[in-house]
Amino acid sequence: MTATTAPNTAILLVGHPNVGKSVLFHRLTGAYVNVSNYPGTTVEVTRASARFDREAVLLDTPGVLALPSRSDDERATMRALLNEETRCLVQVGDAKNLRRTLTLTALLAELGVPMVLALNMHDEAAARGVTVDIPALAEELGIPVLATVATGGEGIGELTRSLGQARRPGALLHYDADSEADIARVDEAIGRLAPHPHLAARGLAILYLGGDAEVAAWLEAQAGGKFPEIKALRQAASHRTANKVSAVLARERSEAADTLATSVIQRAARSSPLLAQRVGQYVVHPLWGIPILLGVLYVVYEFVGVFGATTLVGLMEKDLFEGILNPAFTDFVTAAVDVPWIVELLVGQYGLWTMGMTYALALILPIVTTFFFAFGVLEDSGYLPRLSVIANRLFALIGLNGRAVLPMVLGLGCVTMATLTTRILHSPRERMITILLLALAIPCSAQLGVVLGMLGSVSFTAVLIWTLAMVGVLLLVGFLASRLIPGRRIPLVTELPPMRMPILGNVLKKTAGRLKWYLVEVIPLFLLGTFIMFVLDKTGALPGIIKVGEPLVTGWLGLPPEASAAFVMGFLRRDFGATGLFAMAHALSPIQAVVGMITITLFIPCFASLMMMVKEQGVKIALAMVAVIVPFAFLIGGLFNLLLHAVWS
Amino acid sequence: MTPKPEIRKAARLPLAFIPPGQEVRLAGFGDEIDPLQREQLTAYGLAESRPLKVLQQRPMTVILADEVELALEHAVARHIWVEKDLGEVPA
Repeated sequence: MTATTAPNTAILLVGHPNVGKSVLFHRLTGAYVNVSNYPGTTVEVTRASARFDREAVLLDTPGVLALPSRSDDERATMRALLNEETRCLVQVGDAKNLRRTLTLTALLAELGVPMVLALNMHDEAAARGVTVDIPALAEELGIPVLATVATGGEGIGELTRSLGQARRPGALLHYDADSEADIARVDEAIGRLAPHPHLAARGLAILYLGGDAEVAAWLEAQAGGKFPEIKALRQAASHRTANKVSAVLARERSEAADTLATSVIQRAARSSPLLAQRVGQYVVHPLWGIPILLGVLYVVYEFVGVFGATTLVGLMEKDLFEGILNPAFTDFVTAAVDVPWIVELLVGQYGLWTMGMTYALALILPIVTTFFFAFGVLEDSGYLPRLSVIANRLFALIGLNGRAVLPMVLGLGCVTMATLTTRILHSPRERMITILLLALAIPCSAQLGVVLGMLGSVSFTAVLIWTLAMVGVLLLVGFLASRLIPGRRIPLVTELPPMRMPILGNVLKKTAGRLKWYLVEVIPLFLLGTFIMFVLDKTGALPGIIKVGEPLVTGWLGLPPEASAAFVMGFLRRDFGATGLFAMAHALSPIQAVVGMITITLFIPCFASLMMMVKEQGVKIALAMVAVIVPFAFLIGGLFNLLLHAVWS
Repeated sequence: MTPKPEIRKAARLPLAFIPPGQEVRLAGFGDEIDPLQREQLTAYGLAESRPLKVLQQRPMTVILADEVELALEHAVARHIWVEKDLGEVPA
């Protein structure tokens, strides 16, 4: 074992999902990344300078269920391991599940990189009667091992100090003789044909034999024409054994971890489950799960739909903007500016202030603030992964499993973020279906608030019709997509993290971070959208568009001609379009309000999420989705217009 | 040296058939579970001879393995074989 003398390079935080890497990252860097109580919150590597050493760079990697890498987030972590000049690895482990933590340690130890092991959530382990003999474990592994509680800041100082004592751990196991012979052959070939600048060839050999696609790609790029020699060794290894090589290696690591964990763990007998465990079980209970879900939805509706979209919007729009700010700003601009078109650009019907800023700050901001707060509480409580258990049967109808509920619920916050989070899904087919449904039928928080605010003031029936329309479309399109897109459904297997009392500070930080992100994205787009509307109005194009759209908007959808403007705005952001309809709510009948909201909700998502669709699925598939979504939105809107006139007039 | 007491074991049963509240040992995975899912289960800590407790069976099978709660669809739990310990064989 060698002490670390590496130059100033990256420190990687690596570990299983939901063990607290991102909280630790925040503690060590001051940089805030989204932190939640469910696996898969981090889907990309985040980097920031360390607080304790401004020249050191810390990397927060996505959680790995296991290595060799299989899923997108595991591959992202593997790429970081392969490509970063790593000074040391900080493995963040769950203290109450040491066996699983050590299974990953057994593989990381083979990479030949100095390591520190932070056993996090030590408080939860103690509450469950689990005690780890830390000094004994440190001695066995030959690396610093620390107990931390990242959320409470415990053990962070010790962790920082221990980074200087990071060591290359000794191997936790020797595999069976045949496997060792295979590893030695590949190890030798890698050392000769594709040596890695800082990772041990033996570690890469184990990963490659285990079927890691990222390692295979790296070796192929390094070895070039000699790569078939390495590949032939893996083929020979797989021909030798009836069992899959990766399964044999994983099982032996698991056994070694089990042996070591058993020797350093003490478990106190516990007479009854913890309160958190009991609450967690009630939430997914076959009888109580649904009433609890309805209760949660009701509270969220009251907080976001009533308090946010009605009370706060009323205060902001009527009292602050229309009552004080807009008249004052209009008076100021009229007095200060002599050019009439500039006055109109700033404070006219399509004014940057009177429309763009008023929409963004008075109508949308209160709604998204309350939504992000409520969502943060749900995230940190551990409720969302349990929702995947309740929703699994429903999602099976559309070829998905309950795991897809996470991006779907995240989509209610922001479809762009949610599209990125589809990476937690296990197959390309699941990702494609989920991205399509997100783009089509999941309204983001801003739009959801506008819908609730507008239809809530019409009647509860209006809200119910809109909700049933969205759920119906979701199920119908999901059902058709699952039959048209090739591939099979993967049954759900998921971890249920402990239920926890949300920490107000984290929820507020998260809400503030999301609001900042939202405002930075939304205000420029709202201003751009307003400017486009102003130009279209001034050049006479808007009346032309309204006239062209009349057969569709007035005839088929039964909306007033001016609603065409809202759909033009909707091309930039759905919520901008919805806000346009909201602003003309007084001129709409109940049926027009429902039809307008159904159509605009199904309309293409915002520009940012369209770009994210392109990033995740490629230009062709993203454009194909848009080509389906736009006519489909008008088709469904028109059908509801006909249906509602038939039954609700 | 005293020989280790022999543990009597019952027949292997699918995990999906075990009533909530019972503790069992994992006996193996059926061939119906594909290799990727098998790796996933192993990564969650499910390994032969490991004890686990069934917490509920509906709407999904929920188990406690070490301190980790896992939810498994019945399509998976039906192909995970477990056995109940029946205590020590009488001398």
